[in-house]
Amino acid sequence: MRLKNWQLPLALVLFMTGILLMSVLQVLHNQDETPAQEKNHNLVAMIKRQEKELNNLEKSIDTRRVSLDKYQKSLSSGQLETENLQYQLDQLKMLSGVSDVEGPGITVILDDNKKGYEVAKSKNPEANAQDYLIHDKHLLYIVYELRVGGAEAISINKQRITASSDIRCIGTMIQVNTKGLAPPYVINAIGDSSRMASVLENTDSQYNILKMAGYPVQIEKHDKVVIGSYKGSYQFSYAQPKEEQ
Amino acid sequence: MWVPILGLVIGLLIGLVLNIPIPGIYAKYLSIAVLAGLDSAFGGVKSIFDEKFDAGILLTGFFTNTLLAALLAYLGDQLGVDLYLAAVFAFGVRLFQNLAMIRRELLARWSRKRRLAKAKVKGS
Repeated sequence: MRLKNWQLPLALVLFMTGILLMSVLQVLHNQDETPAQEKNHNLVAMIKRQEKELNNLEKSIDTRRVSLDKYQKSLSSGQLETENLQYQLDQLKMLSGVSDVEGPGITVILDDNKKGYEVAKSKNPEANAQDYLIHDKHLLYIVYELRVGGAEAISINKQRITASSDIRCIGTMIQVNTKGLAPPYVINAIGDSSRMASVLENTDSQYNILKMAGYPVQIEKHDKVVIGSYKGSYQFSYAQPKEEQ
Repeated sequence: MWVPILGLVIGLLIGLVLNIPIPGIYAKYLSIAVLAGLDSAFGGVKSIFDEKFDAGILLTGFFTNTLLAALLAYLGDQLGVDLYLAAVFAFGVRLFQNLAMIRRELLARWSRKRRLAKAKVKGS
């Protein structure tokens, strides 16, 4: 192809213009990230980092507990008196939730009433989605109903419910043991299956109210339910054992 | 015909790959420079049709226009005068004028060619 005298200079000009145009476009495109979005990104990164840290700490607590167990067992081996103490210790550990437990029990599965919300919305566009979600209070009541039914260990989405566990609403999630949980909520409970189920299915019970309201809820009875230990730690800043007089 | 378009495509690609980091505050001046560059390019195309093309004029025009446009816009900002609007206006008007000229010229050439072809068909 024969080059005409105008082709190369024009190509050069267009080449430079192309570079300039692309650079400007990229700068303006990157600018789309407003300060608020940038802040959000930073916050998300921070939360993720802290969650990771939390996980690592929980793992280290776990390993410490295992090694502590070993020491205690090796100490108590062979001595009747200390064996008795060990038995008591094991009982207390189970009660406080720091050991994994298994046994017969039930699984309660709760989920948001999405279908109900869609139906309600088609009839009345002002229907409030809040009225069709599982809330922290529902979980709280059901945990208490399970305790009424004699549950010996309870967990929600693998979070062990201990004497100091908190169940509360944090925006769009429910937080248990400072862990955010999302639906569906799977509650495991070890205890007398039929007794717990009958308490839950009582007419006035929270479970029954949810069921009547059309939430997708169900109870499953199992011969063996495994409930993991509480991964956090207990800290007593105020309470201390009362000295014997 | 294809060499300038190839130049443009390569330029776009290199700009995309290099990803030159430019602080956001200078983006505005760079936009003016881009406008000046486009103006030069279209001016060059127009001059080809006018058969007045001069590589020297095109190249010097491109560099001085882009640089001066950016500088003047910057100066205007320092003085508190929206001088960049003047640049946008000047380059914009000329861009569209040149575009219109190019379009008309192309159209005229095309219709002339067709008329010639028709005449040939009739003549044969």
